[in-house]
Amino acid sequence: MTIELALRDVRVAYGAVEVLHGVSLAVPTGSLTALLGPNGAGKTTLLSAVAGLLPLRSGQIVWCGNDVAGVPPDDLARTGMLLIPERRGIFATLSVRDNLEVFAGRGADLAPAFDTFPILERRMTQLAGSLSGGEQQMLAMSRALLGRPRLLLLDEISLGLAPRVTRLLFDVVAGLAECGVTVVMVEQYLSDALRLADLVYVLSRGELAFAGEPAELAGRDLPGYVLTG
Amino acid sequence: MLALNYAFAGLGLGAIAALSGVGLLVTYRATGVFNIAHGAIAMMAAYLFWQLTDEWGLPVWLAALLVLAVIAPAFGVALERVVFRPLQRRHASPAESLVATIGLLVLLLGVAFVVWGAQTRNPSSLFPQRVLHPGSLTLHVDAFADLAVVIVGTGVLAVLLRRTALGTQIRAVVDRRDLAELAGVDADRVAAIGWSIGCVFAALTGILLAAQLSLQPFNLTLVVLETFAMPVIADLTSIPIAIGAGIALGVGQSQMNLWTPSDSQLASIWGALQSNLPVVLLLLALLVRQRLSEARGDAGVTTTLAQRRSAEPSVRRLTLQYTVAAVAMFLPLTLSDVHLRQAQEIPALALIFVSIVAVTGYSGQISLGQAGYAGLGALFFAKASVGTPQLVALLVAALAAGAVGFLTGYPAIRRRGLFLALTTFAVGAFVSRFVFAQPYFTSNVEVHRPSLFGLSLQGDRAFYMFELAMLAIAFLVTYNLRAGALGRSLIAIRDSEQGARSVGVDARALKVLIFTVSAMLAGLGGALLAQQAGSFEPSSFDPLEASLPWFAVVIVFGADSAVAAVVGAAFVVLVNGVTGQDNAYLVAVGLLAAFLGRLPGGAAELARRTVEWVLTPTALMRHYARRQPPARPGIALSPGGRAALERVRGRS
Repeated sequence: MTIELALRDVRVAYGAVEVLHGVSLAVPTGSLTALLGPNGAGKTTLLSAVAGLLPLRSGQIVWCGNDVAGVPPDDLARTGMLLIPERRGIFATLSVRDNLEVFAGRGADLAPAFDTFPILERRMTQLAGSLSGGEQQMLAMSRALLGRPRLLLLDEISLGLAPRVTRLLFDVVAGLAECGVTVVMVEQYLSDALRLADLVYVLSRGELAFAGEPAELAGRDLPGYVLTG
Repeated sequence: MLALNYAFAGLGLGAIAALSGVGLLVTYRATGVFNIAHGAIAMMAAYLFWQLTDEWGLPVWLAALLVLAVIAPAFGVALERVVFRPLQRRHASPAESLVATIGLLVLLLGVAFVVWGAQTRNPSSLFPQRVLHPGSLTLHVDAFADLAVVIVGTGVLAVLLRRTALGTQIRAVVDRRDLAELAGVDADRVAAIGWSIGCVFAALTGILLAAQLSLQPFNLTLVVLETFAMPVIADLTSIPIAIGAGIALGVGQSQMNLWTPSDSQLASIWGALQSNLPVVLLLLALLVRQRLSEARGDAGVTTTLAQRRSAEPSVRRLTLQYTVAAVAMFLPLTLSDVHLRQAQEIPALALIFVSIVAVTGYSGQISLGQAGYAGLGALFFAKASVGTPQLVALLVAALAAGAVGFLTGYPAIRRRGLFLALTTFAVGAFVSRFVFAQPYFTSNVEVHRPSLFGLSLQGDRAFYMFELAMLAIAFLVTYNLRAGALGRSLIAIRDSEQGARSVGVDARALKVLIFTVSAMLAGLGGALLAQQAGSFEPSSFDPLEASLPWFAVVIVFGADSAVAAVVGAAFVVLVNGVTGQDNAYLVAVGLLAAFLGRLPGGAAELARRTVEWVLTPTALMRHYARRQPPARPGIALSPGGRAALERVRGRS
C-alpha cells in the first residue's frame, strides 16, 4: 500500500488564531478516507490547506512523494488534485455549459457529466445560480467526472440536500473510488461516510482525535458526536 | 437638414460616451470591480499621450501605440498585482474594492496635479479633425473614426468574452476566484488580463475625449464619471445597450440645440439641462431602476469598512482618545493668525467627515454625495442670513440640508452597496451642476461669520471657538447615534440588513433618519467652511474635488470613529498647509485607500506598525522567534491509525 497524501505536523492559522495545531495523517492510494469532526474542528481548513488555498504556518503536505506546501492551487489542480468546496462549488453567474467548460477545458467531451447527471444537459443554457441546490451540487460534482482527478477532496457534498440526491452523489463518489481515484471526504452524515470509507480520521479543535478503520469507531466517545446505530 | 447636421455633430461625443460607458462595463465584467477610477486612468493616459506628442514631439501613431499597447496594459497588470490581488486574497467585500478604486482615483488625481498642474492643455487628436461637406451636410471625420473604434473595439471584446476559453475563464475568475483556481485556472494571470483590457479601454477613452474637449485633471475625469449612466442603463450587462445609450446621449445633446426658449429664465434652465444631460440621465436611470445586476453578488456588506477590531474599544481607551483629541483641538489657538486661519478649516471639515462616519461607518450606507449636502448647507446659510440672526440662519441651513437628506434618503431604502454609492454620487453631481454651478443661485452670495447674542465672531480666535462648539454638538449627536437601542439597530443594519429586519428593526425609517442626520451635520460643516473662507466656492463642494476624496479620507482614517474623522480633517489641512498646495493630501490619502488590500487598518494601522517597528527592540523579536510551540496533545489512535501515522513519520 502506498501513501498518496501525507500531512506532517501541519499548522494553519487565520491571522493570529491557529486553527490546525499540528495535524499528521496519511491517505493510502486508492482509498476512500473520511474526515469527520464537529463544527469548527478544522476539517474545511485542512482540505483548503491541502488544495493550496491556505498557507501553512509550519509542517509538510506530501503528495505523491513531493512536498506541495506553497504550491499554488491552480498548479495542483492541473496535476490532478481536485477540491470540491463546501456549499455549491459552481460559478453562479455562468451558464451550466460555461461552468462545465471551465471544469473540463473548452471543446472537451462533456458526456461523462451528462451520462451521470442527465438533468444538466437539459439545463445547459441556464445560469448555474438559478439551479436548485441539488442540481448545483451535481454540477459541482461533474468536475470530478470531467477533470480526471488523481486525488479528490470533497467538502460536505451532502450539505443541505435531499437524501435521494445525497445517495446519488455518494454512489458517484464510490464509483470514482472504485476506478482508483483517491478520495478524502469531509462529512457530517456519519452513517453514509462510515459505510463507504476505508479509513477514518476524526478532528477535534484542530487536533487529530481518532485515526482508524470505521468499525473501530463504534462505541467510542467522540467529541461532538453521539454515535447511534 | 439642420437636425441631421446636429446629429452628426453629436455623434462624436456620443461615440466617446459610448466608449467610456462600455469601458466601465467591460472592466466591471472582466474584473468584478466597478472602477470609479476609470475616469482618472483615462485622464492619466490622456496626459501621457499629450506629454509624448505635444511635449516630446513623438508622432501621434507612435505615442498612441505606446500608451495603448504598452503603458495601459502594463498599468492594468500592476493594478491587479498591487491593489486588487491583495483584496481578493483577503476575500474583501465588493464595497472594499469600490473604496480601493476611489482611493486610486484620488491618488491619480493627486499625481496629475503634482506632475502637470491644474492648467488646461489641448492635446493632439488621434484622428484628423477634418470636416467634409457632401451637399449641405457637415461631417466630422474624427467623429466617424471614433464611432468605428467603439464598434470594432467592443465587437472584438464581446467575441473574446463570449466565444473564447479565455473569456469563459475571465468570467469564472470574476465569479469565484478561488473556485476557478481549484479548476486549474491561473486566476492571477486571467485577472491581470481583465485589468489590462479595462485600462486599455480607459486609455482609449481618455485620448479620444481629450482631443474633443480639453485636458485638465478634474474636468476630464468628471466627464468620464458622468458616463456612469451608460453602464447603469445597460444594467451592467448589455454592451449594445451601453453603446446605444452613449450615442443617443451625444445625439440627443446636440439635438437640444434645435430649440432655444425665448424666455431667458427658461433658456438658462434649458442650457443647463443640455450641458448636464449625462448627469440627469445618470440620476434618472438610477432612480427608475429597481435593481442592478451586480457581477459578484452583493456589494452591500460594508461592515468590513468599519470593523477593524475584534472587540469594542474599552471605556478607558475611548476616554483617553477623546481627551487627547479635545486638548489637541485647542492647540491651534496658540498659533499665529495666518496658521490659525488655516486651522479653522479643521473643525468645519471634521464636521463633514463626522457626517460621513455617521452614514457610512455607523450604518453602512455608502454615501458619495456628502459634499452636495455640505454645499447646500453653505448656500442655505448664505441665503438665510440675509435679514435673520446668524445663529438662526445656521440652524435653518442645517435643517434645510437635513430636509434634502430626508428626500434623498428615500432612494436609499431600496438601494445598497454599489447601487446606493452610484445613486448618492449622482445626487451630489446633480446638486453641484444644477445648483452650485448656476449663477442664479450662487452669484452675489455673501457669507459672513455669525455673531452670538450680540457677541461678534469676526475674530479668528472667537470663530475657531465657535467652530469647536459646533463640533462638540456634532459629537453629542453622533454619540447618541452610537449609544443604546438606536446605535445597536444601526449597526445591525450595517452588518446584515435582512437580519436586522427579521428581528423587527425598522430599516426603512432608520435609513432615512441616518441620511437626514448626516445631511444636517454635513450642512452645518459646509456652512462653517463657507464662513471660514468668507465666500461660497462651488468647487469646494464638487462631487469629484470634494465628495470622493472626503469619503476616502474617512475610510482611511477609520470609518466608524468620530475622533478619527477629526484626525483626518487635521491631516488634510496640515498636509495642504505644509506643502502649500490645495490637493497635496490627495496623494497620501489616495495611496492609503488604494492599498486597503495590504493595509486593511488604513492610517491607524500604518501608524501602529510604524510605531511598533521603531519601538520593538530586536531582542524582543528574537524572543518571539525562539518561542516554543505549545506541546502537542495526545492522540487517540487505533492500531490501524497508529500504523498509518508511523508510516507518515517514517518517511520524513
